[in-house]
Amino acid sequence: MYKFISSLLIGLSLGAIYSLMSISLVLVWRSTRVVNFAQAGQAIVSTYIAYEVVNRTGSFWLAFFVAILAGALLCAIVDRYFMRPLFKRVTSGPIVAIAPVVATLGLLGVLRAVVGFVWGVELKPIAAPVSLDGYSLGSEVLPFAPYNALVIVVVAVVLIALSLLFQKTNLGLSLRASAYSPEIARLSGIRVNEIRTLGWAIAGAAGAIAGILATPTSYLSPNSLDILLVFGFAAAVIGGLESMVGAVVGGLVLGLGVTFVSNYVSTSLIFPTAFVFLIVILLVRPSGIVSGKRSRRA
Amino acid sequence: MIRNTPKKRALFVSAVIAAGAMALSTMPAQAASQPGITSTEIKLGITSPLSGKVAAVYGKIPGAMKAYFSHVNDNGGVYGRKINLISKDDAYVPTLAVKATNDLIMKDKVFAIVGALGTANHLAALRSANLSGRGVPDLFVNTGFSGFADKAKYKTTFAVLPSYVMEAKIMAKYIDDNYKGKKVALIVQDDDFGLDAVAGFATAGLKPEVTIKFPTGADSLAAAQGWITGKLKPANIDIAIIFATTTTSAAVLGAAAGLQYRPTVGWMLGSVGGDSNTLRAGGVPLAILNGAIGTSFAPDPSDATDEYVNFFKGIYAKYVPGSTFDLTVLQGMNSAMLTVQALRAAGKNPTRDGLIKAIETKGAKFASAGFTPLKYSPSSHVGYSGYWIGKYSATGSLQPIDGKRVLYTTDSGSGPVVSATISRAPLPTNGLPTNS
Amino acid sequence: MRKRLLLFIALGWVLLLIGDRVDELRVYQGASIAVYVIAIGSIILLTGYSGQISLGHGALMAFGGYVAALCVANASLPLWFAFVMAALVTGIFGGILGFAAARLSGPYLAGTTLALAVGLPSLANQFSILGGEQGIYLDPGLPPASLGESFSQYKWFFWITTLAALITMFWLANILQSKYGRTWRALRSNDVAAQLCGVHTGRQKVLAFSLSSGLAGLAGALLVLTISTVSPSAFPLSLSFALVTGAVVSGIYDLKGVMLGAVILVIIPEVADSVASRFGDSLKITSTLPGLLVSALLILAVLFTPNGPGEKLHHLRHKRKTHSG
Repeated sequence: MYKFISSLLIGLSLGAIYSLMSISLVLVWRSTRVVNFAQAGQAIVSTYIAYEVVNRTGSFWLAFFVAILAGALLCAIVDRYFMRPLFKRVTSGPIVAIAPVVATLGLLGVLRAVVGFVWGVELKPIAAPVSLDGYSLGSEVLPFAPYNALVIVVVAVVLIALSLLFQKTNLGLSLRASAYSPEIARLSGIRVNEIRTLGWAIAGAAGAIAGILATPTSYLSPNSLDILLVFGFAAAVIGGLESMVGAVVGGLVLGLGVTFVSNYVSTSLIFPTAFVFLIVILLVRPSGIVSGKRSRRA
Repeated sequence: MIRNTPKKRALFVSAVIAAGAMALSTMPAQAASQPGITSTEIKLGITSPLSGKVAAVYGKIPGAMKAYFSHVNDNGGVYGRKINLISKDDAYVPTLAVKATNDLIMKDKVFAIVGALGTANHLAALRSANLSGRGVPDLFVNTGFSGFADKAKYKTTFAVLPSYVMEAKIMAKYIDDNYKGKKVALIVQDDDFGLDAVAGFATAGLKPEVTIKFPTGADSLAAAQGWITGKLKPANIDIAIIFATTTTSAAVLGAAAGLQYRPTVGWMLGSVGGDSNTLRAGGVPLAILNGAIGTSFAPDPSDATDEYVNFFKGIYAKYVPGSTFDLTVLQGMNSAMLTVQALRAAGKNPTRDGLIKAIETKGAKFASAGFTPLKYSPSSHVGYSGYWIGKYSATGSLQPIDGKRVLYTTDSGSGPVVSATISRAPLPTNGLPTNS
Repeated sequence: MRKRLLLFIALGWVLLLIGDRVDELRVYQGASIAVYVIAIGSIILLTGYSGQISLGHGALMAFGGYVAALCVANASLPLWFAFVMAALVTGIFGGILGFAAARLSGPYLAGTTLALAVGLPSLANQFSILGGEQGIYLDPGLPPASLGESFSQYKWFFWITTLAALITMFWLANILQSKYGRTWRALRSNDVAAQLCGVHTGRQKVLAFSLSSGLAGLAGALLVLTISTVSPSAFPLSLSFALVTGAVVSGIYDLKGVMLGAVILVIIPEVADSVASRFGDSLKITSTLPGLLVSALLILAVLFTPNGPGEKLHHLRHKRKTHSG
C-alpha cells in the first residue's frame, strides 16, 4: 500500500511539471500552429536568469517572478522578431510544412549555446523555497514534500488563471479568435499579429514556471530541461495538443504511467514507456484523450 | 524533367566542391623521424567530451592535464622540450572520437595520445584508427573498462584507472568481511559501466537482494524516490550501493534526504559517483553522506593533509583559476604527471616504441597520487590495481576508517581480492619528476 | 536515364581519381561525406517528396548499423550482403513504423520520431546480443589483396561508401522522376486533390517512409563500417538533428544539393575546432561552438534559402536572363 501511495504521489508531482511544459507548448500551438521546440531553450534562459537572481538576492520568489517576466519577454521577442519574419519569408515549397519545426530546433540549439557560453557547463543548483522533506503518514515518510504541494498548487493556479483569461475576458476572446480563424478575426478588428505575440508571451511565462519549478529537485545545466521538453511534448500530444485541460491530463497520465511502470515493471523502461504511450494513444485515439475536433492529419 | 541542364551543371558543381573540400589543406609529410617530436616540443593529443551532456563532468580533464604540463614547461619541460597537449572534442560520440583521433595522428601528427576518455568512443577510435597497428602510444585511458588493458588486442594502449570489475569485487569483499549476511541493494546505470559492476559482484559471489538498473539520463529525483519507496524500503535493505555517476548519487541522496531514509547499515558509493566536491556543487545536502562507505584509488580531493592533493590543487588554482578542484581534475593531473615520468623514462631522444617499453619496464615505479600499486610490466598494461575503502565525514570528505586506510588489490578476472599496504612514492620535489 | 547513368559513372571516375590523390585523412572524410549523402538523401525523399518530417532518422541509422554488424559478427555474412540486409530490414521496420506514422502529420510525426530517437538507443542496452555500451565490433576485413599492398583501409571504406552513395543517388534520381515521385509530389502539395485522383494516400506515405528508412539503414551500416563499431552512443539525437540541417541546407527537395549538405556536416566540426583553438580552448567555447554552428546554420538556411541554394541559383539566373533579355 505504501508503495502504491508513493507511486501515486511521485507520479502526480512529476506529472505536474510535465503539465506546465505541456501547457506552454499547447498555447503556442493553438495560437500559431507551431510546436515550439525552442521552449526548452527559452525556459533554460529564464531559469539561468532566475539562478542569478537567487544568487544575488537570496530570494526564490523574486527570482520566480523575474523568470516569468523574462520567459514571457523572450517568447514575445522570438515570435515578433523570429517567427513572424520566418512566416513572411518562407511561403512556398515543401519547406513550408517543416519550417517552424526546423527553425525552433535551430533556435533551441542557439539558446543552449548562449547559455553554455555565459554560464558554463558546470551543474548549478537552485535551492527550494520550502522544505523538500516529505510529509509523514503514520511511521512512514512519503515522497511528497511541501515543495511538491507547492508545485501542484502553482499548476492549478496557472490552469485556472489561464482558463479564466481565455473564457471570461475580451483579451481571451481575441486570443481564441485569432487562433481559430485569423482572417475573420482580422476583419472584426482584432490586431491578430499582436495578439499572437501575446499568446506566445503567455506560453513563455508558463514555460519559465516549468523551468524554475523543475530545477530545485534537480540541477541546472544547458541541457537540463531537454527531457522535460520531450515528456512535455508527449504529454501535449496525449492530451490532444489543443486544450489546456488536455495538456494537464496528458502530463498527469504520462507522469503516473512512467512512475508506475518504473516502480512495478522495470526501472529501465522509462523512455520506451513514453514512446509506447505516445504511439498507442496516437493509434487508438488520434485526437488525444481530451478530444479536439481537428484530426491529426492536418 | 524540364530542368535537365541545371541539374547536370549542379551535379558537376557539387563534385567540384567535394573535390576541393577534400584536397584542401593536405599536409606535407613531416621530415622528423619521430612524429610530434622536435628539439623544443613534444606534441601529445587527447580526445574527450568538451561539448554535450557529459562535458560538465569530464570536460575539465584536458584543462587539468594542461595545467600540470604548464607547470612542467615553466620549469624547463622534459629534457628541454615543452609539452604541447592538443585537445579535441568528441562530444562523447564514437563517430567524432574516430574523427578526432584520426586528426590527432594524421593532421597534428602527435607523438602519443594521452588520457582519451570514454569506453565506446575510445573503442571505436582504437578499432577504426588502428592505433595499435600504427604503433601510436595510447596512454592512460580514462575509463574503468577493463578491456583496454588487453595487451594482446591493443598493444600500445595502457589503462590507468582500476577497472569497475575490480571495484565491485573489492566492495563485495569489504561487505563480506564486515557485514556478512546483510541485505544489499545495487543501483547501477543500465550500460556497460553498470553491467561490469553487476558482473564484478557476481564474480565475488555477492548476490544483491535488489538490483535497480536505469537508463542513462533517467536518474531524476522522482525516479530515485520511486527506487527508494518501491524497492529499497519494502526489501528492508541494509546496504545500498550506488554504482553510477555523480548525477545519480545526487538524485538518490537527495531523494533519501527528503524521505529521511537510510539503509540500516548505510549507503555505499562507487568512486565515479562519490566525488563529494561535485556532489556539493550539485546542491546535495552532505549531511546525508555522513558515515557512508566509499571507495577510491586516490586521496579525497578535499583532503588537506595529502601532499599530492595540496600540490595539484595549488597548480590548478594557478593555471585554471575559478574552476572547482574535484576528483576528475585530480585524476587528469595525476595522469599528466605519469605522462611526464613516462616521457622522461623514454630517454632524451624518445621514440614511440621506446615510450611503450619505458612504461612496461619502469611504469610500476612512477610516483603518483594513487594509493594502490600500478601493475605495468612487459606482460601487463593494467594501471592501478585496487582501491582503498573509507567513510565519508560530515563535511563529505572520504576519510580512512578509524584513521586506517584499508587497501585491497585484485584483478579484473576471477582472481582473489587481497589486503595490501600503501606503497606510494612521495611527491617529487615541487611536483617535478626527476626519474630517467 | 542512359545519360544519367553515364553521368554517374563519370562522377564515380572523378571521385576515384580524387581518392587516389589525397591523403588518408581526406579519404576518411570522403567516406563520411558519402555516408551523409545517403542519409540526407533519405530525408529528402521523405520530407521533400512526401511531406513527412522525421527527427528520428538517427535511430533508423542505428537500426541499420546493428543489423549489418550482427550479420557480419554473428552470421559471418559478407560485407556487401550485410549492407543489403541493413537496408532491407530497416526498410521493413520503417514500413511498420510508417503504418503508424502515415496517420500522423507535421508536429505529431516530428514528436513521435523524436521520441523514437530518444528511446531506441536506450533499448540497445536491454539485449545482450547488442553488446551494450561497448557495442559490437564490425570487422571490415582487409581490402582485397589485388588492390595492392599500399591500399589503405580508409581508401577501401571510401570506395565502398562512394559506390553505395552513387548507386543510391542514381536510384533516388530515377524513382523521384518515376510515377511514384510524381504521386508523392502530388500528395505533398495537395493530398486531398491527390486522393480525389485515386491516390491511396496512406499507402503512398507508408511506402515513402519505408524506402526512406531503408536508405537510412544503409547509411547507418556504412557509418558503422567507417568506425568499425556499432554502439548506441554513435547515434545521438544530435545526429538526427544534423541530418535535418543537412537536408535543409541542401534544399529539402533538391537532390543536387545533397553533396553540399553532406560536405557541410563534415566540415562543421573542423571549423568549430579551429575557431575554438583560436580562442584558447576555453571549455565555455569548445562546449558551445559545435552546437551553435549547426543551429545557426539551420536558422540561416531556413530564413535565407528556405528551398535550398539550388532554387536561389535558379532565381538569380532567371533574373539575370530577364535583365539581359
